[in-house]
Amino acid sequence: MAYTIVAALVLAVMFLSFERGKATSKEVALVAVMSAAAAMGRVVFAALPNVQATTFIAMVSGYVMGPESGFMVGAAAALVSNFFMGQGPWTPWQMLAWGLAGASAGLIKRIFPGIGRLGMTFYCLLWGYFFGWIMNLWYWSSFVRPLNINAFIAACISSIWFDSFHAAGNAILYYYFGEGFIKVLKRFYRRMKVTVRYE
Amino acid sequence: MPIFQVKNVSYYYPESEKPALKDINISVDEGEFLLVAGGSGSGKSTLARVLAGLVPDFYGGIFSGRVLFKGRDIRGMDRRKLSRHVGMVFQDPEKQLVKTEAEAEIAFGLENLGLPQQEMLRRVAEAMDFLDLAEVKGRFIDKLSGGQKQKVALASVLAMQPEAIILDEPTSQLDPACAEEFFNLIKRLNEEMGKTVILIEQRLERCFHLADRVAVMKDGKLIIEGAPREVAAKSVAGGMPFIPPVARFFAAMGFPDIPATVKEGRGILKKCLPLHNADEESLGSAGSVEKIGDKSGDVISLKKVWFSYNDKKEVLRDINLRVFPGEFAAILGANGAGKSTLLKIMAGLLHPDRGRVFFQGEECGNKGEIFREKRVAYLAQNPNDYLLQDTVEQELAFTIKNFNIPDDGRIDRLLGEMDLKRHRNKNPRDLSSGERQRVALASVLVTHPSLVLLDEPTRGMDYALKAALGEYLEGLCSSQLCVVMVTHDVEFAAEYAKRVIILHDGKIVSDGSAKQVLGNSMFYSTQMARMCRGFAADILTVEDAMETLAPLLSQNYKLALERGLW
Amino acid sequence: MEELFYHEKGLFLQKLHPAASLAYICTLLVLTLIFTNPFYLAGLFFCTGLSVWMLEGLETWELFLKGGLFMTVPIMIINPLVSKAGATILWRGPSLPVFGEITVSMEAVFYGAVMSLRLLDVISIFCLYNIMVHPDKAMNMLERFAFKSALVLSLATRMFPAMIRHLENIKEIQLVRGVDFSGGTFKQKINKYTNLIYILLLSSLEDSMEIAEAMHARAFGSGRRTRYVRDSIKPADSVCLAAAAAALLTGAWGTVKGYGVMNFYPRLGPAYSRGDMRMLALLLSMLSIPSLLSWGWRYCRYFR
Ligand SMILES: Nc1ncnc2c1ncn2[C@@H]1O[C@H](COP(=O)(O)OP(=O)(O)OP(=O)(O)O)[C@@H](O)[C@H]1O
Ligand SMILES: Nc1ncnc2c1ncn2[C@@H]1O[C@H](COP(=O)(O)OP(=O)(O)OP(=O)(O)O)[C@@H](O)[C@H]1O
Ligand SMILES: [Mg+2]
Ligand SMILES: [Mg+2]
Repeated sequence: MAYTIVAALVLAVMFLSFERGKATSKEVALVAVMSAAAAMGRVVFAALPNVQATTFIAMVSGYVMGPESGFMVGAAAALVSNFFMGQGPWTPWQMLAWGLAGASAGLIKRIFPGIGRLGMTFYCLLWGYFFGWIMNLWYWSSFVRPLNINAFIAACISSIWFDSFHAAGNAILYYYFGEGFIKVLKRFYRRMKVTVRYE
Repeated sequence: MPIFQVKNVSYYYPESEKPALKDINISVDEGEFLLVAGGSGSGKSTLARVLAGLVPDFYGGIFSGRVLFKGRDIRGMDRRKLSRHVGMVFQDPEKQLVKTEAEAEIAFGLENLGLPQQEMLRRVAEAMDFLDLAEVKGRFIDKLSGGQKQKVALASVLAMQPEAIILDEPTSQLDPACAEEFFNLIKRLNEEMGKTVILIEQRLERCFHLADRVAVMKDGKLIIEGAPREVAAKSVAGGMPFIPPVARFFAAMGFPDIPATVKEGRGILKKCLPLHNADEESLGSAGSVEKIGDKSGDVISLKKVWFSYNDKKEVLRDINLRVFPGEFAAILGANGAGKSTLLKIMAGLLHPDRGRVFFQGEECGNKGEIFREKRVAYLAQNPNDYLLQDTVEQELAFTIKNFNIPDDGRIDRLLGEMDLKRHRNKNPRDLSSGERQRVALASVLVTHPSLVLLDEPTRGMDYALKAALGEYLEGLCSSQLCVVMVTHDVEFAAEYAKRVIILHDGKIVSDGSAKQVLGNSMFYSTQMARMCRGFAADILTVEDAMETLAPLLSQNYKLALERGLW
Repeated sequence: MEELFYHEKGLFLQKLHPAASLAYICTLLVLTLIFTNPFYLAGLFFCTGLSVWMLEGLETWELFLKGGLFMTVPIMIINPLVSKAGATILWRGPSLPVFGEITVSMEAVFYGAVMSLRLLDVISIFCLYNIMVHPDKAMNMLERFAFKSALVLSLATRMFPAMIRHLENIKEIQLVRGVDFSGGTFKQKINKYTNLIYILLLSSLEDSMEIAEAMHARAFGSGRRTRYVRDSIKPADSVCLAAAAAALLTGAWGTVKGYGVMNFYPRLGPAYSRGDMRMLALLLSMLSIPSLLSWGWRYCRYFR
């Protein structure tokens, strides 16, 4: 229960910080398109074991557009895809996990602007595990008692294979395609700021 | 007083060297219906954006000149005020709807204007009633048909009660019947409600007669402007294609007075020609199947094919179809009739639920037909979906590499044939829309297929590009190869296809030579066929008419002149 | 893909004001998360099921429950293994480095079973949400607080199915151009699928400019905006809202008084007491009011 409240608060704060930005139509449309594309990431790789392109796309978006938009892309992707695949108790937690993945990519870009390809690849790899742990947190915090760190570790160990696939997928995606995606996205992101010269 | 005055406007998009508009001067009167025509990339959309205030505010770039709305410079005007007075409907309904439900969609603009609730309720209700949208209320927008979506888009602009409405190729995604309905709505808006309408359109035969004035653009400049008849005369004099077939025919005949509609055209014909008895000829030919070309081995044949997506409604019902080498067949039909589905079955992308498909005599099984793919080229609606590689050349190489075909100079040859040699090292996404289309086509033709399938290849193309494509496809048909094309463009089909198939609700209702099928149909018929119905049979295009009708007509015309009937 | 998407059936519960339906669902959810007594959890399950039935959603519910049953398996296994608080030991296992000696106690097994019931409860409540609240309505509620986010969500929801179709087209094109999606190594497969997303992204980004343009042309972001309210509060909404609020308050009061919560460790506490049952009956009668109204709306003219 307590964890649920914390999660809801984090979601609310992040949503409001996205809200605070200036409402330009280009930004809204770009974030919406990226969210829909990230939601597609769950569908496209259905044939491969637990490769979640959603994480990758949310992180790339966060990297280019900043933490607020990155969070929005991840969170919206989770919510929207679940309208079609079924909402469940997992929805808020997926929103949180993917949202944080997006936001953290934006943050790390701000903190370490020169993180480079390998650094980001490693970071994406890590997020494969983080994502799994956040989802575990939900599962175990609600249904396992007494809640202690051992129980949590047991859960994380039991899901390690699953998470590793996710992490490996992330790393491969970023290593081979990250730069390309970022280049394309940056080009569009730049187009958002226009200057007019009258003659 | 003019509602818009454009004075010496020139404009460059950001990061572009070439001006999209050069020294444009035009004024639009209140309540006028202005039609803007011109080639692809000539700046029609850009002009529309200028009038709607989107250029330069939304796009940025370098702008010079002035645009006045009712005598006031747009530049200093509040954006909210401008969007209240000028509404714009775009080409693709998919890309202008933002909500998941029609009523919310219509209210979206009103919310942005900050109107009070009571006012919004009234306006939404009025817009829905006017466009007859009651039945779509509450439904998920994605589930509506293309025509309904475009009507919702129009309603959402109308609800803002603009004085001028700008429409940028609003019907390019719709089938002929839907498009007709949409144009009728626009006409009512103009005539009964006094709205100023500025319409951009490529396929002039559908709307030339509606306009009070026509403007033709070329390379960012306004080259011709005036009443439809004047423009028709000038276009013919300048050798430009931007007039509908009826006008082109009479202009080419050297008539002083150029009609713009089928009705006016028939009026002239009546004066000059005796009316045949329409009942005798061409009856009984409708629906009968006449095979053209080499009747021995067919390339593909479908026998009693039934198909449905996820077992709901049958999308294709009892399709029997054989296509022979050398044929150029066009499939026509309403939105959702199953045309694209039929094409995908022929391409081996979908497999029939019941029935059999033979490709060059071999029966196709139910698994991925790799063997067929090499010999079938399939061009889907959107050429952009083909462009993945960094250069045009790689795009072609990608296909043959996947099929393990060695490059025996075929890439070179094809690039030459399709006039793409200049661009071989460019990124395909930097090319113009017509060039992209050719790259996409080349990327599937490079395997030397025996069957070429095209899904609406002419969407959004101008006359010149269409003619180039049509001629290329005609040249392609040979003893080895046949082309099957899905299209909404009846004029294009009439001009180039030899065989026409009409699909209705998943069934083939008519199949035969273009002359039989199009000559006898009401909706799927060309302007010339409609005009000449009853005077002469087998006329579909201006060329046909020039051949059969012109000698008669010019004689009788002289006679008529002499007798003072004119 | 769209089977699970909300279907408008014109039913009473679907027509409730979103505030009422969301309040009802949230109440169910909160109560599920505070109660641990299996009778209470079963009661909530029953109430949720009743509403699902009233929404003609039994088939969807079955789908959700099937999925839910899979999720209960780890709860049933892990709970007994990690918990050492139970007193009635059923089985002693070997000793492991981090966890110490493994014991399985009856209390822990029972706890696992009750938690599985709770999980099924939660899943059913979300299933109810799926078939009861139009996504648009929920977003309208959100729009009140976070308008931009709500717009992003509704735009993305509209685009998602269109993108799936687009993706299918792109895949077909690649198939025709000889890409074999079934073959290749893990990396090659990722490569092929990523190409699909890449093409999709390129087109979608271009689309995003056109969407933005359409929004801009309709005065988006030109100043203060108002909200178009479609749903007005009807008497039935007030009743449901009141019922949900009352149930929530009763539930909260009950937990303070110690009703509805059960002790599992070290020994199972009593699950049944007269007070408990009275309280449960009261709660259930409040929570079934919406379903009752729905039934009445359909079969009894008097309710309309
Ligand atoms: N957003 C943009 N950024 C940069 N250049 C653009 C943009 N939109 C159009 N252009 C360029 O401006 C010129 C005019 O384009 P415009 O879209 O106005 O033509 P159009 O007549 O509407 O063509 P079509 O019939 O293909 O729609 C073209 O050369 C085009 O490449
Ligand atoms: N992937 C799909 N899944 C389910 N139904 C589909 C799918 N594709 C098309 N349909 C349905 O099948 C019917 C025929 O569609 P199809 O795309 O073949 O029509 P069309 O004649 O090509 O229409 P248009 O002129 O609009 O392109 C339509 O009712 C459509 O809704
Ligand atoms: Mg245009
Ligand atoms: Mg189609």
